[in-house]
Order: sequence, then C-alpha cells, then structure tokens
Amino acid sequence: MKMLCVCGLGQGTSLILRMNVEQACKELGISAEVDHTDVSSASGTPADYILTGNELAQSLQGHPAKMIIIDNYFDMGEIKAKLKQYFS
Amino acid sequence: MDVIFWIATNVFGTPAILLGAIVLLGLILQKKTVSQIVSGTAKAVIGFLIIGAGAGVIVNALNVFEPMWKEVFGLEAESLGQFIGQESFNAKYGSAVTLAMLIGFLINVLLARLTKFKYIYLTGHMMFWTSTVFAGVVIHVAGDVSFWKLVLFLSIVLGLYWTFQPALTQPIMRRVTGNDHIALGHTSASVALIGGLLGKVLGNRENDSEKLRVPKGFEFLRDSNVVTAISMGVLFLVGAIVVSLKGTPGAQQLIEKAGSQNFIIYSIVQSLTFAGGIAVVLMGVRMFIGELVPAFNGIATKIVPGARPALDCPVTYPFAPNAVILGFIGAFVGALIWLVVLGNTVAYIFVPTMIVLFFHGATAGVFGNATGGTRGALLGGFATSTVVAWGQFVMVKFLITSTIPDTAMWAADSDMFILGPVIALLAKILF
Repeated sequence: MKMLCVCGLGQGTSLILRMNVEQACKELGISAEVDHTDVSSASGTPADYILTGNELAQSLQGHPAKMIIIDNYFDMGEIKAKLKQYFS
Repeated sequence: MDVIFWIATNVFGTPAILLGAIVLLGLILQKKTVSQIVSGTAKAVIGFLIIGAGAGVIVNALNVFEPMWKEVFGLEAESLGQFIGQESFNAKYGSAVTLAMLIGFLINVLLARLTKFKYIYLTGHMMFWTSTVFAGVVIHVAGDVSFWKLVLFLSIVLGLYWTFQPALTQPIMRRVTGNDHIALGHTSASVALIGGLLGKVLGNRENDSEKLRVPKGFEFLRDSNVVTAISMGVLFLVGAIVVSLKGTPGAQQLIEKAGSQNFIIYSIVQSLTFAGGIAVVLMGVRMFIGELVPAFNGIATKIVPGARPALDCPVTYPFAPNAVILGFIGAFVGALIWLVVLGNTVAYIFVPTMIVLFFHGATAGVFGNATGGTRGALLGGFATSTVVAWGQFVMVKFLITSTIPDTAMWAADSDMFILGPVIALLAKILF
C-alpha cells in the first residue's frame, strides 16, 4: 500500500508530514510505504492514499487515490485519528 | 597511508559517494529494513546527481533571459561572465557542503542540548541551499580554501544560524500559532521579522486580514511549478515582444538565436524550460533530503528530547491564509517595481524568482498580519521583494560572482542575502 504526502513545493512541509505519518502508521500497526512530493508530480504518481491539506486536495480532484485531508501536519493526534477512520 | 589517501579522494572527494555513505549510516542507525536501506541510499545519491543536471538547464534559460531584458532596458549586452556554475561547483565543493551540513546540524543539536535555545532545525532543503550559497560566497571571496578549513568555518556559522534563527522568530511565531510547540526554521526569518516590525510600527492589528473575504480560485498559487511557469512565461513574453519591435542590432542578434522558429514562441519555450529546470533540481533535492532529514530527526530526538522542531515556512500558512495571499501580492508587485528600478539604475537584470517571492512574501505576510493586520501583511510582502531584489543584485554582482551566481539568481533568498556580506567579511578576515 502506498501513501503520498503532498505539499505545494514537495520539499519541507510534505516531508515533515511524511515523517509524522510514518510514525503514526508504526504506532497503529499499519504497514505502508510513505512518500512525499509536490502537487504537480502527485497528480501523475500512482498511490492508494493521498494525505494533504484542503486547498491542494482540490487541485488533485480526479486522482484515483483516496484523499485524506490533514488540517494540521504537525498534530499527531489528528493524523492518527484520520488514519484510524480508514484502517480500523 | 594509501588507504587513507584512497578514502580521501574517492569518498570525501566524491560528493555523491560521501552523501551515500552518510545516508547509508543514517538508515542503518534507524534500524531500517535491508530494502529500505538499499532504496534510500540509491535515491539519495541519484537525487544529488540530478541537481547538477537541472542546474545546467536553468543556466541555458537564464542565458536567454538576461540578454533579452538587457536589450529591453537598452543596456550593454554582456554574458553572465566566467563562473564555476552549480554543476561543477557541486563536483568540486559538494563534499565540503555535505559535511558542513552534517556537522553544522550536530552543532545545532549540541547547542540545543547545552543552552536554553532548544530548537532543532529540520528544514533540510534550506539547509542544503544555505550551505551551498555560503560556500559559494567563501570561495568567491577567499579563493580555493582548504577542504577542512571550509568545512569547519561553514559548520560553525551554520550551526549558530540554525540554532538562533528559530529563537529570534519565536516571539512572533508564538503569536501566529497560539502555542509554543513548533518554531520557524526557514531562510525567510529576516523578512518575517521585518514584516512583523513594519506591521507593529505602521499597521493596525485590529484590522486582521482574516476578516477580509479573499475570492476563491487562488489554489493554483500553491503549485510552485505553475506559478514559476506563468510568471516567467509572462516576463519572457513581454521581453520577446519588446525585443521583436526594436530594430537594433542587439535585438537582431537575439532573434537570430531562435533560428527558423518564431522568436516569441522560442522565448515562451525558454521560460517553460526554466520552470522545468527548477522542477528537476527540486526533485533531486527532494530525493536526497527525504533520506537525510528523518535520520537527523532521529539523532535530535535521542539527544535533545522535547526540543522544538524548527520547520519549513508553510507551517505558518494555515494560521492566516489571507495574509499568505496578501504577502505574495505585496512581494509580486514589489518585484515588478524593483525589476524596472534595478534595470534602470544599476543595470542589473533582476530574476524575480517566484518560489522565493511566494514562500518568503507569504511568511512575511503572516508575520506582518500578526502585528499589523492587513496593512502589515502587504508591507511584509513588499519588504520581502525589496530584500530579495537588492540582495540578489549585491550577491550576484559582488559576493558570489565567480562561483555560483546561476544558483544565487533563483535559489538564494532573504537570510542568505542579509548574512551574505557578513560571511564575506568573515571569510576575508579568517582566510
């Protein structure tokens, strides 16, 4: 299973989100390959789940992956709660 | 002795291999699986090598952009001149830059452990660019400095910068985020502080930008590829039209470069090539930073538990989305003004690099809004364009001219411009 964390530039913010998602997956016992990228590249990258903010999710409409909207990339509580909705 | 010499040339002297070795070690220490270790190391090395390839594409496009706008302003056409260029610079000094990043980070961790400044700088791509640009300044000012002297100097400067920059912005960061959990770790710190100061003096905090109703449809601004392509496309187009209308010999010479292709079409393709080159470089940076930062994070959380992570500037955006747009508008308008002013006064063709203007203008906007509302946000954005435009001129013309002016034209930014003269002065005194 592949998860893609997306931000505008695909450099810093999505990487931080990726690290937090990896951590959350580990704690929840979800086994996933997590990667990070910018929004242009994301639209052409196959993935099972895309984790990103509300605005960028709109730019990625039509992507076959399931969208998981994360409001605060640094809130481990939120990330875990949203992942639990999909994997429980 | 032969073994040491072999390691010195082939590991420390070959940046891609050195980086691979560091990442390999980091992945092993994080107890990753064999497949993760292999793929992570390979990605890091490939990413590093991609940067050079993309940099070459950018230089080619800049070599069209510069003379074109020189012609628009009626300035003497001259090429960018003799310089090392990012690709060769990486090959020659990339090892020193990589080691300086690593040791500079360890100094940051050590300072966070020992002093009350408990900030860990985790914005990896900015660590790379700051290290690279500072190295470019040192080599330009002091010539071919010995390897370990360069590493030592850069590590100390960077270690101090990465520790104290988040500390300086934290008072306003607390106001922006409403808590004390995260810090700003980004080279937009100086313009963010200027934005905060301008907001305080000239703004009106009651008039918060979040009370404004900003029309929807600005989502595309979040996509850096699109913004770079559109803005450079417009600038190349305007330049091409003006040059086409001018009958001067200089203009004729430029048009001949397009060969049988229409000059305007040729120029638009050049602008998109420029955006493509940036996308390539950023992909390379993403590939190797993506392997490095988790390892850095692992080290930091072990040595300094509970330290605040200093993070990339978009962390501030959700707290004031309208200020983000206002800051960018201020920076964009300012950049166009400074493009004309710099061209007409000091004969410098400013490359209004959108990635820098957007991210820095937006951060300054958020900080300006925190102290001075809507007016603060706009002023923060305008101040950003001022620092970036004049800073780029000073750096490209005086501080980094013989090494990597090509990189300074699009990847160097606010804090590097503010600290550049200090680095140059220190390099002059110490080497």
